[in-house]
Amino acid sequence: MTFVAFAQTLAGGVLTGGVYALVGIGLTLVFGVMRMVNFAHGEFLAVGMYLTFALFRSFGIDPYLSLVFVVPAGLLLGAVIERLLLAPLQGAAEHAPILMTVGVGLILSNVLLLVFGAHPQTIHTWYSTRTVRLFSLSLSLPLLISFGITLMVVGSLYYLLSRTDFGRGIRAAAQNRDAAELQGVDTRFVRTAVFGIGTAISMVAGVLLLPALYVFPTVGGIFTLKAFVVTVLGGMGSVAGAIFGGLLLGLVESLAAAFGATGYRDAFGLIAFLLVLLVRPAGLFGTSRV
Amino acid sequence: MVLVIAAAFVSCKSQKATEGPIRLGIITSLSGNFATFGAMEVAGYKVAAEEVNKSGGVLGRQLELVIEDDASNQNAALAAAEKLVQGGAPLILGAFASSITKPLGGYLTRVKVPLLNTNSADVSITKPGTPYVFRVGQTTDSYADASFELIASFKELKTVAILVSNDALGRSTATSVKAKCAALGYTVVGDQAYDRGLTDFRPTLNAFKSSNPDIVALSSYEEDSATLMRQAKEVNLSPRMFIAVGATGYALPQFIAGAADAAEFVFSAAPWRPEARFAGAQDLNARITKMLGAEPSHHAAKSYAGILAAAEAIRKAGSTDREAIRTALREVKLSTAYGPVSFDAGGGFQNQNPAPSLVIQVQQGKFVVVWPKDFASGAPLYPTPAWEKRAAK
Repeated sequence: MTFVAFAQTLAGGVLTGGVYALVGIGLTLVFGVMRMVNFAHGEFLAVGMYLTFALFRSFGIDPYLSLVFVVPAGLLLGAVIERLLLAPLQGAAEHAPILMTVGVGLILSNVLLLVFGAHPQTIHTWYSTRTVRLFSLSLSLPLLISFGITLMVVGSLYYLLSRTDFGRGIRAAAQNRDAAELQGVDTRFVRTAVFGIGTAISMVAGVLLLPALYVFPTVGGIFTLKAFVVTVLGGMGSVAGAIFGGLLLGLVESLAAAFGATGYRDAFGLIAFLLVLLVRPAGLFGTSRV
Repeated sequence: MVLVIAAAFVSCKSQKATEGPIRLGIITSLSGNFATFGAMEVAGYKVAAEEVNKSGGVLGRQLELVIEDDASNQNAALAAAEKLVQGGAPLILGAFASSITKPLGGYLTRVKVPLLNTNSADVSITKPGTPYVFRVGQTTDSYADASFELIASFKELKTVAILVSNDALGRSTATSVKAKCAALGYTVVGDQAYDRGLTDFRPTLNAFKSSNPDIVALSSYEEDSATLMRQAKEVNLSPRMFIAVGATGYALPQFIAGAADAAEFVFSAAPWRPEARFAGAQDLNARITKMLGAEPSHHAAKSYAGILAAAEAIRKAGSTDREAIRTALREVKLSTAYGPVSFDAGGGFQNQNPAPSLVIQVQQGKFVVVWPKDFASGAPLYPTPAWEKRAAK
């Protein structure tokens, strides 16, 4: 393999990893604050994809422009689901929110099936197959834009969590809910907001994937699985962990497909996952909770 | 008294089997990944059933299609088959995907119900096959035959890289291509099978780029074909020809819509096109288009021929007895708008229709038949221009 092809493979891995990271961040944020695994995470991504798809097909709205609609829709959808379906489960058995989110996911994917039909659909924009030449590398324009938007999302999330009162409230609630409550943090609002943010981030990832990929109603399951790997790899609840976990997974998969056999890419990704867990059971950036 | 009731029951039951419509069992993918193909099949089945029923039906009875959804997976297909077998289906048509048809054939052979497949292309379904499994459509061997006739007509091609989906169709395509390469002296420089489901093809296409193949041979279902060609453009993989030996995804109108400019110049094996010179081909295409409400693919035409073959077999059998139909299927000789149908291919095949394949190419957003020459509606555009030399759109 030539050096250019190798560099190209690395670059591709990083760009794909960026999307994995974004999918993972939403999941890890929700877990960090709510101590709850959201099994509908991938389905929210599918909803984001279809929302963008519908806006493009019906009104010709550019996928990236549709972020203006998708982000508020995501915040709202997440907040409503948290208030109506998850908040009442506070204090219930641990498996209750798991079953609830699995159920929400099933309903979402079946609604998508009902509305949009089962067949895979693509949209074609002028930049769908555009590439950017950088030295002798050719990089996918939609993937580059996605990566840029991922960086923006991560940057604003970082600012939100570390520089604002609301963000400090979120971190306080994640560390110790009772203590945060005693300090005057409205943890009920924080939980609703965090679930909304997590949902919105997942839907944004869907928007970013659409121009270069295709969408079908059960696409969510694939990304729920990726998100689990990414968050556990990085450490449950750690945003930085999710970013590194995502990049690592993207790189390993890309290299495995280029040097090994394409059919075993997932196997290599999961082997890397197991190795990391053997050495660091709490994940790269996780702290053991035992 | 008991005797009378029993007699009434028996006569009622026997009446059921010889009167009323003949209920053909159909298993196809109405939902799941293969739903687009399933819709094509159903349109073809319905057009054929309408045609048969308009001309008086079979044995004086109407054909009725009992359509079961396999949700694009094997377990649901087997459950559907069991239901149809219990319901007394004289024969079953289906399924769409090779990976579903193979176990379906195994099950129906065990319970001795004839299976008439129209669209699966995995060679091993009819080679060695079983006495109960019949196939109207072409195999990947037939696709590879036509593909390599075209390839051989361009003298300077030597190396082949193969990228197929990791399923029954893809593996069968890879096997057929490798057999052809070995027989004709082409060198295989890449041989990869990918797992279906949102695969990132870039690393593999990059690896191919390093070995600089003359030919990239492909096989994918609907969703992957467009993505794969888009990414080939992205990583700037420029062989002298892309050829989808596995037909399927690349021969769909959806491929051109999804891949747009990246679809240009891509060759694909194809079992049938409306331009094919069989009597009634254009008319059949028009009727299927009307039934489907969209542009159909060859899958619909094959399913159409399947119903005609089933009707002919029942007519020859003179009853809806499964064994009689199975024996009669072997005697079927039809010429349809899809082409000739009989089940007698040699070469280790069993109950296989020896239909030849075409090669088509995407030219200016349309499929053009380019091989064999006497069927061709246009000349092949060759060699495929490098991506950066194509006019920007």
